[in-house]
Amino acid sequence: MNVLKVSRWTIAAFVLPCLLLYVGLVFAPIVVSFYNATLNWNGIGVAKHVGFDNFHRMFTNDSVFWPSVRRTFMLAGFSMLVQLPIALFVAILISRYVRKPNFLVSSYFMPVILSVAVIGQLWKTIYNPASQGGMINQILIKLGLDSWTHAWLSEPKVAIYAIIVIGLWQYLGYHILIQFTGIQNIPADIYEAAKIDGAEGFKADRYITLPMIVPIFKISVVLSFIGSLQSFDLIMVTTAGGPAHATDVLASHMYNISILSQKYGYGSAIACFLVVVCLAATVVINLAFNRIEKRYN
Amino acid sequence: MSQSASIAVREPAVQTKRRAFSLKKTIVFGFFGILLVTQLYPLLWLLIYSLKTNEEILSGSFFALPASVQWSNYSNALAGGRYWHYLLNSVIVTSVTMVFVILLASLAAFAITRFRWKYGQIVMLIFLMGLMIPLQSTLLPLMLIFKNIHVLNTRWAMILPYIAFQIPIAVFIMSGFLRTIPHEIEESAIIDGAGVFRIFRSIILPVSIPPIMTVCILTFINVWNEYILAATFISKEALKTLPFGVYSFVSQYSVNYGAIGAFLVLGALPVILVYFLLAEKITKGMVAGAVKG
Repeated sequence: MNVLKVSRWTIAAFVLPCLLLYVGLVFAPIVVSFYNATLNWNGIGVAKHVGFDNFHRMFTNDSVFWPSVRRTFMLAGFSMLVQLPIALFVAILISRYVRKPNFLVSSYFMPVILSVAVIGQLWKTIYNPASQGGMINQILIKLGLDSWTHAWLSEPKVAIYAIIVIGLWQYLGYHILIQFTGIQNIPADIYEAAKIDGAEGFKADRYITLPMIVPIFKISVVLSFIGSLQSFDLIMVTTAGGPAHATDVLASHMYNISILSQKYGYGSAIACFLVVVCLAATVVINLAFNRIEKRYN
Repeated sequence: MSQSASIAVREPAVQTKRRAFSLKKTIVFGFFGILLVTQLYPLLWLLIYSLKTNEEILSGSFFALPASVQWSNYSNALAGGRYWHYLLNSVIVTSVTMVFVILLASLAAFAITRFRWKYGQIVMLIFLMGLMIPLQSTLLPLMLIFKNIHVLNTRWAMILPYIAFQIPIAVFIMSGFLRTIPHEIEESAIIDGAGVFRIFRSIILPVSIPPIMTVCILTFINVWNEYILAATFISKEALKTLPFGVYSFVSQYSVNYGAIGAFLVLGALPVILVYFLLAEKITKGMVAGAVKG
């Protein structure tokens, strides 16, 4: 039981500065967004109430919207189906074979701490045509695979995959770190006991590591999913959604519509959709993992 | 005792295993090596790239070291871009944000976890909801608000939202820690005649150094690297932070490849230096920050 009995004024002095700033700059804007989403407004002139027209238009009459939703989920899918299993595999190998894992884990983690602005420009340089010093294309030419060279970020068909690769590269180390920490926290005597019962190596991983890591793996899944839904600074610094909307995701579409084209009402509608998807995704992932955890208990 | 016994049981088994599976081990470490190359080579490549002449970069020998090290790329980058300026801005914005986040969040977390009042849990819930709100969706309303109160294109246009978006995770981490401090501490402090503010300043803050470090690291990584909000709310050259500065330098000097490389290296350098000094603290802090999911 909390022992400090204090006056209202004291409570207000401790809580209000923090609460007001946070509510005013995070919460209120979202609420305002939901209201703005029902307007037809360019930010300056008179706003006109249009009800759910913006949402209607978004779902039925926007040729960029659904493809960008698809790409958003593509990003999340690649992250969850490629990045996370690799990270888990690496984390298990490291905890099994490496005596002093710190160096390896913190090296893998290095790209995570760099700004997307730097990462984006670095990969833009890597993806450049060979004639402009791009590494990938130069390697391909050296290997005699000239036909494989691409203008990676400006060909509509490959651009989104080029961006996905950057995302997978940058955050792989984060997921390795998270899952490695999770494995480290599994008490060693469980493995000892399992060994006596004859479970070692991959058998022990199957029956101990995997079930025990579920709660940590959930964190990875949530991070990768929410991260992909929001992934957008990377796209803004590399392609800004181009060429011809070929790399637009929900968030970049929202940005282009609202901030750049100043269709505030319509942009708010997309922003609201993004918030709802984020909240729904968090709830769904948590529910799914609760069921998995129950099954193991 | 049990610890040493278990090690004694384990050791011989490990020994035989190691000899029997040396091939397996080689493959595993080969795999670690490949992964190390894919994760770090792009950064090393950038460093080499930044020391080459334009001709060397364009010649296609991506693997070769520069014939002579081109420090001039760096002097060009420093002369052409306002590196020191951007750096200073980043330092100002990040440190002001950090101070406010720690102060506000620890006050609020203290009140939520230690005061006897009805609404503590509700307030905590409100903070926790913020963990799931994407920053992007507030860009537009914030821009309109800031335009109306004329803070657009000032440092506050970055600092205020940065503080606000770091508050939920900071409150979460701080209150998680404060819950573990035994209540006897306040009881004896009250008996000694200390007021609430005194307890906070002289007892709670000093013992909260570990979570404060975690909050510092998370705030540093998130705010130092933030690009999109800065690019949306700031257009004055004099106020740009480093990530935004890197971006504008690259778009300005699009054909001076060496200088671009040098500027990218310079842009990455501060955070990499900090990482070399505090790698373990940073990885720990980032894991603590991840748990917010």
